[in-house]
Amino acid sequence: MEPSRLLLVLATLAFLGGVIHAIIALKAGRWKESRWHLVPMALGFAFQSAFLYLRGEQHGRCPLTNFFEVLIFIGWCIVLLYFLIGGAYRLSLLGVFTAPLVATLQIMALLSPFDQAAVARSSKVNPWLEMHASVALIAYAAFALACITGVMYLVQDYLLKHRRIHALFHQLPPINELAKAIRRMVLLGVILLSVALIFSFKINVPITNSKMIFSWCVLALYLVIQLLMWLRALSARQTAWLAVIGYLLPLASLWIVTK
Amino acid sequence: MILCLGLNHRTTPIELRERLAFAESKVPVAAQEIRALPGFEESVVLSTCNRVEIYTAHGMENAAQQGLGALFDYLSLHFDLTPEQREALICYRLSHADAARHLFRVVGGLDSMVLGETEIFGQVKAAYTLALKTGTTGRALNKLFQRAFTVGKHIRNNTTIQRGSTSVGSVAVDLAEKIFGHLRDCHVLLIGAGEMSRVCAQSLLSRGAKSVFISNRNYERAVELAAEMKGQALRFDEWEKAVHDVDIIISSTSAPHFVVTPELIQPMMHKRRGRPLFIIDIAVPRDVDPRVNDIEEVYLYDVDALQSIADDGRRERQRALTKCEEIIEEQLRKFGYHEDSSPATVEILKDTEAPSIEAQS
Repeated sequence: MEPSRLLLVLATLAFLGGVIHAIIALKAGRWKESRWHLVPMALGFAFQSAFLYLRGEQHGRCPLTNFFEVLIFIGWCIVLLYFLIGGAYRLSLLGVFTAPLVATLQIMALLSPFDQAAVARSSKVNPWLEMHASVALIAYAAFALACITGVMYLVQDYLLKHRRIHALFHQLPPINELAKAIRRMVLLGVILLSVALIFSFKINVPITNSKMIFSWCVLALYLVIQLLMWLRALSARQTAWLAVIGYLLPLASLWIVTK
Repeated sequence: MILCLGLNHRTTPIELRERLAFAESKVPVAAQEIRALPGFEESVVLSTCNRVEIYTAHGMENAAQQGLGALFDYLSLHFDLTPEQREALICYRLSHADAARHLFRVVGGLDSMVLGETEIFGQVKAAYTLALKTGTTGRALNKLFQRAFTVGKHIRNNTTIQRGSTSVGSVAVDLAEKIFGHLRDCHVLLIGAGEMSRVCAQSLLSRGAKSVFISNRNYERAVELAAEMKGQALRFDEWEKAVHDVDIIISSTSAPHFVVTPELIQPMMHKRRGRPLFIIDIAVPRDVDPRVNDIEEVYLYDVDALQSIADDGRRERQRALTKCEEIIEEQLRKFGYHEDSSPATVEILKDTEAPSIEAQS
């Protein structure tokens, strides 16, 4: 097996290990806030980083040369944001929800036939293109975290409304904090995607219409969500649903924009 | 040989516990006096509102009765008990594994009035630290207390004995924290000034709630309660105006109809700019129309729901008890005790006789 793919397998196993441990602990009612829960996430992140480094070295540029690498890059951004956000808002259980998504992305990538490790090394790198692609994918990761936080909000809302006060309820963060976290993630994503699309004006290489249309559609969708949130036209529950369902568009658009 | 002589909320009424409590400033002297008794080598005095316990290391292995008798005499003399009080005083007298087991149970919160409470861990730690500084501990008690703290942490981290809430007041606080996070920006409105709503409001204030408004049909009662809770009294026809400024409503009027309705809450939620509303309905018959719970970002709990959660919390802690006892027995074996005495039976002795705890209760 190619070394970079082996690193990816190890990263996936680390995330899966974290998920399985969390599910067992939650089922047994033994889940406790602990820094040890970060270990599988940190291990997975280290392996992901090593994979991206190796691929970057191989390509002589940011490793975003195909759909396979894009999925891994998004997974890496999600974990990166998780580390940045999880601590700040004490949403450590977010890891339990983040790890399955990242593991799924990586399994999809590993099973996909789109990986071409042996891409010719670039002699000339277009920095605007690199910046555009990487910042756009970090924005997609922010939307992914908004989606995950949205799921957490909906679960906690359900438990509170139906008075299901059990282990998962105790471990989920306060519902008000989740609502704020969704708003912040959407705002972060909107800002980053706007910056990425501004970079696209500097790229000399022609970009296909479908790519641009999809990218602008994603931005438009989240701008509308952002505007509705800003106007307080949506309840927190409606915002959570929009963050969850809305993520289908960027997810679907990945195929187009990475072609 | 380790000995423990003690009394707690189960053995002794509060009037006598108050009389026998060591003042914090006098604990070091008491520990030194106990260590100076013939045969005693080490001592730790634990004195809280619910228990007074003396842990000692005695030099003679087979002098448990004699040593415990001396501790009982010390306690009687120290607090100047009359012969009648001395006769009425019930203490538990434990030695060897039983004494160690008891300390482990105390540190783990298994011997507390509220099963699994955590405050006692800190109180035992403070008592031990004080004895350590005073110089009344040695090898035996240092080892015992260090092991006890390990057991306490093990119980906390590996069981659910401390999970959930066991009273209506603490359930209300836990739910409020799961809705708002911290409570320092939360304003509370009491509609009606019943005892249980007062308890809930006090619990919320003790956890940092910013302010409390009290509205009652009897305005004087509202003013009285507001003064007690450092809140603000409202006339009964004014509370509806205050609703959009508050985060938690506790309702306990004796009205025969719904006082809080969806028609009142729904329009008000638009003005709250996404801030949730937590409503606790303690009244019977209920004050709050159950349809209020269907409004987004409104969470309604009536007294049955709160009581049911508290009952679940108590059951959860009871279920965890067996696991805790197993941990304690395992740690006792690691500590070097291999005796097979039942953990549930704590022997309680009067000065003259030896009935079991079951016989006393």
